[in-house]
Amino acid sequence: MKILIAEDDPVSCRILTASLKKWGHDVVVTHNGNDAWRALHDQGAPPLAILDRMMPDVDGIEICRQLRREKTDTPVHVILLTSLNRREDLLEGLEAGADDYLTKPLDTHELRARLQSAARILELQESLRQRVHELEAAIAERKLAEEALRNLSLTDQLTGLYNYRGFLNLAEHHAKTSRRTQTRSLLIYADMDGLKEINDTLGHRAGSTAISAVADILRRTFRDCDILARLGGDEFAVLVPNIKQAASATLLERLEGNLRSYNKEADQEFTVALSIGAVEIDHEEVWHIEDQMARADEVMYREKRKKKGRLKVASKT
Amino acid sequence: MSLTHTELAAVDLAVLASYEDAQIEGEPDFVVELIDLYLDEVPRLFDSLHTAIQNNDSTTAKRAAHSLRGSSGNLGVLQIAAIADEFEHLENQCGTSATQLLQSLENEFRRVKEILGAERQKRSR
Repeated sequence: MKILIAEDDPVSCRILTASLKKWGHDVVVTHNGNDAWRALHDQGAPPLAILDRMMPDVDGIEICRQLRREKTDTPVHVILLTSLNRREDLLEGLEAGADDYLTKPLDTHELRARLQSAARILELQESLRQRVHELEAAIAERKLAEEALRNLSLTDQLTGLYNYRGFLNLAEHHAKTSRRTQTRSLLIYADMDGLKEINDTLGHRAGSTAISAVADILRRTFRDCDILARLGGDEFAVLVPNIKQAASATLLERLEGNLRSYNKEADQEFTVALSIGAVEIDHEEVWHIEDQMARADEVMYREKRKKKGRLKVASKT
Repeated sequence: MSLTHTELAAVDLAVLASYEDAQIEGEPDFVVELIDLYLDEVPRLFDSLHTAIQNNDSTTAKRAAHSLRGSSGNLGVLQIAAIADEFEHLENQCGTSATQLLQSLENEFRRVKEILGAERQKRSR
């Protein structure tokens, strides 16, 4: 083991050094507190220090105190050297954070026993430190795996609707088949009004309740075969495959009606409102969901700016 | 307070002999090395004590006495260790009692030098 000695008395210092070397330890010798402090902060610093209580510059107790002020996961094991008849020094030393003590005159048998106990403690400390590192690594790995799983998931946790990824996958698939099946589709892009105000004034729990309420209203309004999604934050999207001509307006009126009745009936501190952009997609064209979403988004934005509560259906293209 | 410590041996040779354990084969005699270190260190500490008393510097005097007690205790030089301890715990390390104790320390050291010198001779042979 690598051991630091800080001892200004040459006789004690020589006895310590010789004994430790004889027992196969690697010894770093210093004769004052400042050198000891430096050696304890060098690269590859010793894990164990034998510090004399009394030294001309910085004494062993002060070094202890300073060491214990440092945040580290490899604390130095400190054995303080005190005089046999100075009990108050001993107590002060232990209070300052010394792990153990040795009294002078030196008893080399006692020294050897103390070193063995120190080695056991350091070994335990090291295995504990390694265990903590392993656990930390395992937790980090787990977090990454969860994150990856979340990215793979197709549904939104809060509402149970499809998430952005799920929506894109399904809608893109529908876009490919709609030409073959000769069906016309309706895409609705809906943005909640005032979610930020609900979050700011009533808290995020109320915000989440409002988002879930919108999801429920969408579920009530549309059919099972329609693709409902929360794209993120306060944005929702609905793709209605296979819609009959002129049915769009009726569907949007039903949505508006369901919103109104929720706001009337619900025992909530807030009301929910949506800005909506809806576009019909003709089956004659080859289309991609992202282009159509951009169209619907634009309509929604215009709607949001006007915001007179009327729902709008844009004519195709 | 008594200035004599006749009940104690000047040097407990068993303490010295216990350091034979730390002897590494092929290296110079370790006990001899310790004796030399000690005989070298003590006059330095006496100088320090004299100067400190002259300068009325009790902090330095106390520290020197402490070192003297430590070194002596470690080598089993019991009388000097005891007197140094008495010195260290004086109320005033620069007063008359201090001067008297320093005198007894120096007297005792003459005796110790002889004993350790003989021990050194025996071991160097």
